[in-house]
Amino acid sequence: MIRLVRAEWTKLFTTRVWLGLLLGACLMVAGFSALLTGFAGSSQNGQPGLPPVGDPRFEQMAFAVSTNASVLFLILGIIGMTQEYRHRTATPTFLTEPRRWRVVVAKLIAYALVAIPFALLVLAVNVLVVSVYAGARGAAPSLSGDNLEVLATSGLALVIYAVIGVGIGALLRNQVGAIVGGLVYLFVVEPVIRSIPATSGAYKWMPGGGLEAMTATFQGPDLLGAWEGGLLLVGYGLLAALLGTLLAVRRDVV
Amino acid sequence: MRGLSKSFGQVRAVSDLSFTVEPGSVTGFLGPNGAGKTTTLRMVLGLMRPDAGTATFDGAPYTALAAPLRTVGAVLETAFHPARSGRNHLRVYCRAAGLPLSRADDVLVQVGLADAGSRRAGGYSLGMRQRLALATALLGDPAVLVLDEPANGLDPEGIQWLRGFLRHLAHDQGRTILVSSHLLSEVEQTVDRVVIVGAGRLVREGSMEQLRSGADGAGTVLVRTPEVTRFAELLRAQGVGVTTEDGTLTVAGSTPAEVGRRAFAAGIELHELRSHTSGLEEIYFQLTSGSEQFAAPSPVAQEAIR
Repeated sequence: MIRLVRAEWTKLFTTRVWLGLLLGACLMVAGFSALLTGFAGSSQNGQPGLPPVGDPRFEQMAFAVSTNASVLFLILGIIGMTQEYRHRTATPTFLTEPRRWRVVVAKLIAYALVAIPFALLVLAVNVLVVSVYAGARGAAPSLSGDNLEVLATSGLALVIYAVIGVGIGALLRNQVGAIVGGLVYLFVVEPVIRSIPATSGAYKWMPGGGLEAMTATFQGPDLLGAWEGGLLLVGYGLLAALLGTLLAVRRDVV
Repeated sequence: MRGLSKSFGQVRAVSDLSFTVEPGSVTGFLGPNGAGKTTTLRMVLGLMRPDAGTATFDGAPYTALAAPLRTVGAVLETAFHPARSGRNHLRVYCRAAGLPLSRADDVLVQVGLADAGSRRAGGYSLGMRQRLALATALLGDPAVLVLDEPANGLDPEGIQWLRGFLRHLAHDQGRTILVSSHLLSEVEQTVDRVVIVGAGRLVREGSMEQLRSGADGAGTVLVRTPEVTRFAELLRAQGVGVTTEDGTLTVAGSTPAEVGRRAFAAGIELHELRSHTSGLEEIYFQLTSGSEQFAAPSPVAQEAIR
């Protein structure tokens, strides 16, 4: 199993996909961190907008910004799995390890482990931008207590999304379809369900609801507790992985 | 590897096909396009699930082999990530199979790609891709090689190289090779035994000698002579099938030696005497005719319809 995991890392780091996604995630989080800090405390049409710098609510919102990169971690996992089918390397891969479930499990492990340093880097960018910018505006947030908890859960969420991506990739196999499907789900389906009163009750049980519960930012609808949300997200990751593994084992490789 | 036997039953593209590949020999797996060759090989290698039947290597199915890459090497298609270099492509499978990374460089040298190893595989020519696929199959130094249409897309020089390479792998290194092709002439000089399939069924199985012995006198011979009419009449009188066209004789069911002997005996001057189609090819066409999956009418027949 260790051999297969190392083979997956070789696959990942011998093309440049990982670099693009990681840089994209860092830039995205840096941008959102700067925007959030820049508009902190501003008021819209006389109504209070974002809480001001120094407010604990602001600090926890600012440290949850990393979760915006979850979509890129999802894509990382999706590409990791679907490239095998797209470039037909599934054939030599499954010839090397005919027990296909081992290949999928190796991918899940490899991408979960790779996502950890990636997530730490994204968190570091987040903390750096917020600390420097908010510090310049008066109060740099402390890295303790609730702030630290928000950071930790955000990082964990990123890792789980990479695992979900591998599972989705094994389910759908078509790279473009899996990525487009993932984006549509995250940016269209979930927001719609979240905003319609009749269905918003179900939102807390969906992956996005789980993610929001983990990093509660004081503005969501009815959500689960942080740990329940985290468990829900892990559950979705394992479910996608399990279904993907079962299908990969049963389907013919053409 | 001592023996390799496989049998299938009632599969869509392949029905009830059974044959054995003898160890230490090169077996040609022949059949027209769509005869079920690739499907058969994919089932043998555990990539497709047969509806019935089993395929085993020395008694064990591929999926149960302890070290598949060290036991069986396979070239099924040229599959690689275009942005990854040839060497890194091979290293991935070294890692996965627990082989030393140096094997990647060894096999690159073996197939003559040593200089191109660090280039992106997406920039390889068709011939280089086939070589890279062959290199992947050789990584684990397996005793058995399964090659699906390895000559596809190769230029004449590449085919020449492949023939020599397969002979070297089989006869000098004693590997067992199963090589598929839709052209008999492509593998004619390389293989010891043939398994011919048509429409997913076994048509003929045997050694090249057996096939050849049945092929003697089945070919056609082309003759050019200034005395076309006289020679044609002479041959017809001797009961040999002849057609004439623009000063050329086409003699059916004979060999160049036979035709030359008859011409010499009659004192007829010959300007050209050559084999038009070998008996082997004739037999192959006869065996597989009508079994093409998507048989197209010949251009002549299409003209006639218009």
